[in-house]
Parts: sequence; C-alpha cells; structure tokens
Amino acid sequence: MLLGRAAVLLLALVVWELVAAPLNPLLYIRPSSLPATVLRMWRRPELPPLPQHVWLTVQEIAAAYALAIAAGLWLGFLLGLRRTVGRIYEPLLAALYAIPSVVWYPSLMLFFGLGPASKIAFGFLLGFFPIVLAVLAGIRQVPAQLITVAVSMGAHPATVFRKVMLPAMASTLVGGLRTGLALSVVGVLVGEILGSRSGVGYVINYAYGLMMTHEYAVLVLIVAVAVLAIDGAGALLEARVRRWAG
Amino acid sequence: MTDPTPPIVLHDVSKRYETASGSVPAVAEVSLAVQAEEFLTLLGPSGCGKSTVLSMIGGLVRPDAGRVLIGGAPITGPSPDKVALVFQDAGLFPWRTALDNVGFGLELQGVPAARRREIARGLLEPMGLRGFEAKYPRELSGGMRQRVAIARAMALGTPILLMDEPFGALDEQTRLLMGEWLVGVRRSTRKTIVFVTHSLQEAIALSDRIVVITSRPGRVKDVVDVALPYPRDLNSSEVADLRAKLWDQVREESLRAMTGSP
Repeated sequence: MLLGRAAVLLLALVVWELVAAPLNPLLYIRPSSLPATVLRMWRRPELPPLPQHVWLTVQEIAAAYALAIAAGLWLGFLLGLRRTVGRIYEPLLAALYAIPSVVWYPSLMLFFGLGPASKIAFGFLLGFFPIVLAVLAGIRQVPAQLITVAVSMGAHPATVFRKVMLPAMASTLVGGLRTGLALSVVGVLVGEILGSRSGVGYVINYAYGLMMTHEYAVLVLIVAVAVLAIDGAGALLEARVRRWAG
Repeated sequence: MTDPTPPIVLHDVSKRYETASGSVPAVAEVSLAVQAEEFLTLLGPSGCGKSTVLSMIGGLVRPDAGRVLIGGAPITGPSPDKVALVFQDAGLFPWRTALDNVGFGLELQGVPAARRREIARGLLEPMGLRGFEAKYPRELSGGMRQRVAIARAMALGTPILLMDEPFGALDEQTRLLMGEWLVGVRRSTRKTIVFVTHSLQEAIALSDRIVVITSRPGRVKDVVDVALPYPRDLNSSEVADLRAKLWDQVREESLRAMTGSP
C-alpha cells in the first residue's frame, strides 16, 4: 500500500522531470533542481527570513482554529439542542456556507486591516462552518433509543449529554474538526497571499512577484508537506475515535 | 390475611398524542393491578397503545388523566430503583463492551468499577454469554444483544421489569428459545414482569395473565388467566382452546385497526 503510493509519487516526479527538461527552466521547474534551490535559500537568503514568518503563520492558524472550534461548538450545540432555535437558523447557516467564502475577504481586510487580524478572521470563517455543521449532523445521528435507555435508568440531562450524546456523535464531530483545521489553514494562507506584509503566504507571494520560481516551488512544497502532516495526524485521530465509537 | 399493595396499579389512565393532523387518543381509561411476582402480558394489535401503557408505568410518558402507582406511590418520572425497562431494539451503546453495557445503570448510581464488573459478569454468565464480556455489540448476534440488554436492565436489581416486545426483532426460533430462557430467569429472580407483545404464541407461553388491549385508543378488552404449569406444551388442547379464544378477540381488534373503523 505505502510502497505503491511511493512508487506512484516517484513515477510522477520522473515524468515531470522528463517533460520539463527541454522547456523554459524558469516556468517548468525540474524536480532535480530543487535540492540545490533549498541549499541556496539556506546559504544566501534573498527572501524575507523564513522562520519568523512561519512562526507568525502558525500563530495565526492556531488563533483562527481555536476561535473556530469555540464558536463552532457553541453555536452547533445551541442550535442542535434547542429545536425551535435550530429550525430557524439552520437553513440560514447552510445558505451562508454555500456562498464562496473568498467573497468575504475584502470586507474582512476593511474591518481588520492588512495585519494578522484579517488572516485570523478569514481562517476562522472557513474553519467555523464545517465544525458547526458537524455538530448539527452529529446531534441528529444520536439514536433516540439510546437516550431513552439512559433516561429510563435515571440519567440526568447532563449525564445523557456526556455518556450518550458525545460518544454517539464523536466520529462525526472529529471529522468536522479535521475539516475545520484544514480550512483554517487554507483561510490563513489565502489571506496572506491576497494581501499582507508577513507570514508564509506573504513570502510565497514575494518570491512569485520577483519571479523566483524555484524558491516559490520550494515554499509551496514545504506548505504542502506541513498540511499533509497535520491532516495525517487528524486522520489517525479520526480513525481511532471511529474504532472506539463503533 | 391482607393483600399487600400491588406493585403496579393503573387507575383510569388516558393518554393522547399531539400530531400534525390533530390530537390522537392512544390510551383510554385503562385500569390494571399487577400482583407481586406476576407475569402479565399486554396483548394487542400494532399501534394499539400497549407500548404507551408500558412507557407510562416506566415513567417515560406522563398520562393526561388517571394515576400510575408503583408500590402504592404515584410516579413522577423514571424510578430506576423500582422499575427497569427492556425495549424491542436492544439499544446497546456501541462504544461499550457487553460488560460495560450491563454496568451502565450501576455506573449512573455511582457503583465502583470493580463491583460493577463483578455484578455484570454474574448476570452475563447464566445468560450463556460467558466469554463474550469484552465483545462490542456489533460483534454479537441479535439474540445475544437482546440478552445483554436484559442483563443491563436486571443489573439495576429492581423488583419490576417492563419488557416492550423484547423478542420482536428476533427470528422465530430464537424468539421461542428466548421465551423458554425468560421463564427460567423469572423463576430464579422472582421479578414482577409486564410484557408487551402482539404474538399470541408468546403471550400464552409466558404469562400468568393476559390483558387484551383494543385497537386505538387502547382500552382493556378482556383479562385472561393462564393457569397452566411451565414449561407449557404449546400443542396441548388447553393451549389450543385459549389460543382460539384470544385469537377471536385479537382478530376483531386487528381488523378494526386495519380498516380504521371505530
């Protein structure tokens, strides 16, 4: 399985290398040229200092995701556990989710400025929806029979919530949290690329603006590997919860 | 000699359900007294309100009129110290092992884990579930799951057990075997059992008394004593007579339920 995937990846690189070889090296970057680029970036940095920009982006993502979790869980449970309120607002939420979120970004920049605040706001906005919707879907999935069983045994509402509802909706909830994290990352990076003076997205945009295409490719690869690693960890967690919650 | 207070008394109990198309009467003026250690069956067509009667005894549904007394006291909600319920759907928690499912009610009562496991093990073993303690519900057969559900209800140690078509989802053979098994359990635990079914066979095989419930709204149509020793030979002439008598009554109600005539 893993070997198969590695083989596919290797094959793709080889094909890429062969196709790019006779073409303009500025636009068609050969994979084999990337190690040298990394080395050059390390020795003679022509880009803004990476570690401090990476650190800023990590902080922005953490803030955006934390806010998305807090607001998503709060609103999800508020709407999901109170039927009447939920029935009024849920269609509204679904409609909002259907709008491509990027259209909100200019107004976020107006409100929050070019600094990290607008990136956090956009990362929050993107991460928030899958979390709320997962909570709502999760609550609907809890079998009524299990709640009846617990109530018949004298369980109080808080106990029913903790011992029946949370475990019954755990896998859906973790799935939503995982999607939320991925989208928070996207939100922050897109925000940085669209307009900012700091963060990984800014550096990517900087390299692109100066036609430093090799550096640009390395940065994109770094981001891709980081995102894959985070999502991989999320997938592992989700699989564990799924196994436990049956 | 004075009769002790019957453990369950229903006094002119009525219940209506509010639906989108208006208020529907589910149960009307049902009066019943279940005696200690009695096995009483509520028999009637589907949707006749017999499950509603059981839910009211269990404190899950509040009657609109009339009174439900458990041990002589009116009930205000579930009383897990006196009444335990078993449903048609086993309703096991999929994230808990068989052992931890059985221990759920004890966990709610704050019984320490070691003691819970001990009690649960003691209940699962005579149910033929030895060696299945660590299995999850998805790893058990339908009959096993229902036995775990019954063990979970019995773990509460209540004098009263309410069973709402507990074998309804099982195949015919498993159903008969579970019935035989329940007769044995009942003899050893001396519980008062109220059982709901639409199966004549099951009612006759298990009950001391059968209460025939009319189609909606559910009323008491007839009360039939089954004075036959266990285990019952379901091919005997007494059983045949009883079945014919009950079938006449249930048939009438089933037809009314099917055609919707009052």
